[in-house]
Amino acid sequence: MRTIAILVLGLAACTGVKEAPPSVPPQAEPVVVAPPAAVAAPPAAVVAPAAVVASPAAAPPQPATTGKETVATAPVAGATAPSKDEAAKPAPPPVKAPAKAAAPSVPTEPSRKDPAPSPVAKAQEPPLDVAALTARLRDTKAIGTFTKLALKNQVDDLLGQFRAHYQSGRKTGIDSLRQPYNMLILKVLSLLQDSDPALARTISASREAIWSVLADPEKFNSLT
Amino acid sequence: MTARTRASVLIFPLAALFAGPSPAAEDATLLKDLTSVIMLLGLPCGQVVSAKRQADNDHIASCKNGYRYRVFVNPEGRVVAQKQ
Repeated sequence: MRTIAILVLGLAACTGVKEAPPSVPPQAEPVVVAPPAAVAAPPAAVVAPAAVVASPAAAPPQPATTGKETVATAPVAGATAPSKDEAAKPAPPPVKAPAKAAAPSVPTEPSRKDPAPSPVAKAQEPPLDVAALTARLRDTKAIGTFTKLALKNQVDDLLGQFRAHYQSGRKTGIDSLRQPYNMLILKVLSLLQDSDPALARTISASREAIWSVLADPEKFNSLT
Repeated sequence: MTARTRASVLIFPLAALFAGPSPAAEDATLLKDLTSVIMLLGLPCGQVVSAKRQADNDHIASCKNGYRYRVFVNPEGRVVAQKQ
């Protein structure tokens, strides 16, 4: 009997380990199936929507300066306008909050090597680059495969509207696309806020920067 | 103890362990995903309470409000939710 009991317990322990793999594959498969195509496009779309959500908490940190920094890309932003940084310092409180919240997710990201960037580095996070945002959206488990693909579809649609607008030659009326952009951002944020709040805050803090890229024909063309 | 008794002592605990929660976890993920997709497409549903797989990337989702949708990826790569 003792031998049998030991066997049973040992097998039970082994089966516990085996259970993990079955559950993992389901998620991995979906991600692999549609993602490649969906991921590439969604990032851009995601970028735009993020700004809208930020309005409540991130609205203050969204001054025009941050947008410019974002456009110039994170590395360049720091050197471009020190004077603006000083002016923006009053607002930082809200900016720092999201940045700190995002910090926990940083360690999980394989791409980022600095687990605890300095306050200055955190201040530069809002102007996040599209590639990083894309990667985070692709890797997040807060959104399922179907949802990621549907988001990609909607992002592509919105980008198509921007493209059509610019190809039409009109230089005004881009504001008409602000509402669909905001709606898309809200959708993304609603999907992320519970399961991946750090990414939601990052997107929210970047919404104006993203919009500044979309609303500028030259930047938009360079992006797409 | 007979061989049959020993076998049953081993088999029943194993069966109970292998019949474990992984399918349930998978279901929960899928249901949440389908719920999000239907919401994202602006269709009334509330929450998907069950789903039946028809093929790869093709499911029939039953909503809490009684509606049923076929959620699938069409040849153009778009996610579609068709009310059944």
